[in-house]
Amino acid sequence: MARNNVSRRKLFKGALTAGLAASSAPELAFGQAPKTPRGPKRADLPDVWGQDFLCQWSPPANVKRDLTPGPSHIRLSSPHITNKEGTDYASLFKSMRAGGWTACEAASAEWLSRKMPESEIREIKAQLKANDVVFYGIHCAGNIIAPDPDADRWQRHIIDTIHAADEMGCQLVLTHAGSLYPNRNTAHPRNWGREGWNRSVNALKRICKDTAGIKIEIPLEDVISESVNSAWSHKRIREDVGDDRIMAGLDITNQVHCGNVFRMTELLNLNFEVLGEQISYVHAKDLVWNEMLPGLNWAMNGTGVMDYEVFLTHLSRMKRHRNMLVEFLSALEEYQQAQRNIRAIAEKVGVKIYGSQAS
Amino acid sequence: MVLGIALFGLPLFAMADTNFSGSWVQDNAKSDHVPEPVWLTRAPAGGRGGGGRGGGPGGRGNAEVVMTVQQDGNNLQVTGPQGATRKYTVDGKPYTSATETGIEKAAVTANLQGDTLVIATTRPYGGMPGNVTLQVKEVWALSPDGKILTITTTHTSPAAEKNFKQYFNRR
Repeated sequence: MARNNVSRRKLFKGALTAGLAASSAPELAFGQAPKTPRGPKRADLPDVWGQDFLCQWSPPANVKRDLTPGPSHIRLSSPHITNKEGTDYASLFKSMRAGGWTACEAASAEWLSRKMPESEIREIKAQLKANDVVFYGIHCAGNIIAPDPDADRWQRHIIDTIHAADEMGCQLVLTHAGSLYPNRNTAHPRNWGREGWNRSVNALKRICKDTAGIKIEIPLEDVISESVNSAWSHKRIREDVGDDRIMAGLDITNQVHCGNVFRMTELLNLNFEVLGEQISYVHAKDLVWNEMLPGLNWAMNGTGVMDYEVFLTHLSRMKRHRNMLVEFLSALEEYQQAQRNIRAIAEKVGVKIYGSQAS
Repeated sequence: MVLGIALFGLPLFAMADTNFSGSWVQDNAKSDHVPEPVWLTRAPAGGRGGGGRGGGPGGRGNAEVVMTVQQDGNNLQVTGPQGATRKYTVDGKPYTSATETGIEKAAVTANLQGDTLVIATTRPYGGMPGNVTLQVKEVWALSPDGKILTITTTHTSPAAEKNFKQYFNRR
């Protein structure tokens, strides 16, 4: 598995050359020496004008936007595959494909809720192939560092999911670094401390150990309220776990805070330069800041702050095709609209989205 | 020939005569809410907390919505209810203008077609890099007595086409 060797020093040297940044004395975030070369003082974006008196929330001028398309296509994914008893898989995948969705993922709780017979697994695989739809992964929304004994339960759940994904021929099982609160979506003040980090690393080591030999990727999804919420933390957790199956399930909007919400082009560039082929697949969302408090709200894809032109061209330059999950919308109509926007932007910049969407 | 121009050149006379200048008060009961493209297209945002304008972006509630138009030759300036101004050159020629973010540009054409004013704008949706392209078409029409201004707005993006109608009474 290819490793990306971009260092912070190299990346920020480039930023300095472009007049965008000034790196400062490096600090070790943790007590041990990282394998990643030491870099700037913080894992955020480079300084912009006004650093000594302003919140640096405006984008710098002349941000590099490389819109050169690459050869790799993108498969769009949205509706979750279900394995409810009696599912007509031929109709399910035919419907997905007709709607322009050529990839799909499952939710782990539902997928593991019943043991499927071999004949059903064969049927799923046959219908995926017949309709040219890729079932690439299973999504585990559990909390691997929850207070005990929940952490152990979730870790075992993920181990079971990895076995199930392997049985289905999937590419990946998505999970998260977790929160020290029972509810993963609640940010704990110590999520970014040594204890939280070590719990995540140890949980992932255990998961990797108990699934040794299975070639399922284990991407972590960025979540701003968890420790893995940046390009550098993605890179570091893979090093600390010491297993190349640890990948990035890049959800760039989940890295967003007030300080970078208007700097999405740079954030995309940073992630793709630091992580490269470590990005297993991506989530596609969009957002706007439209409230007095740091109120970031979901927007229709292509209408908010996300730089979809840069996002799609980065993906097309990767070595193999990537799947893109469109999520966090409500109605079926919204998903159709989001797909139309994404396909239109892709066409504008010369990126191929696999399949076609019925008008 | 002269007669022909006089007869068939009616739009030219209409163009010269049509003037949208004045203060216009929106008929809130009849008018649609036209969302600003800088805001999200999903669920409307609600106002939150003191100091905000409340009711979400562009929310009007029962407040009077007054638009002021100054038209001088080919120059048209529109001042919105909250003081924001839009300036147009009404000559049918395309020109570029900065979007609200100041980061991206919009292509604008304003043209008098008969007695209606058509303003066509092509822009990145939210004025941010990488946005989907949004086409906004406004058609302004005066009633025969010049007392009612109707603006029909069409927002076209790959996702959807949406139409809005606003009615204004001359003050």
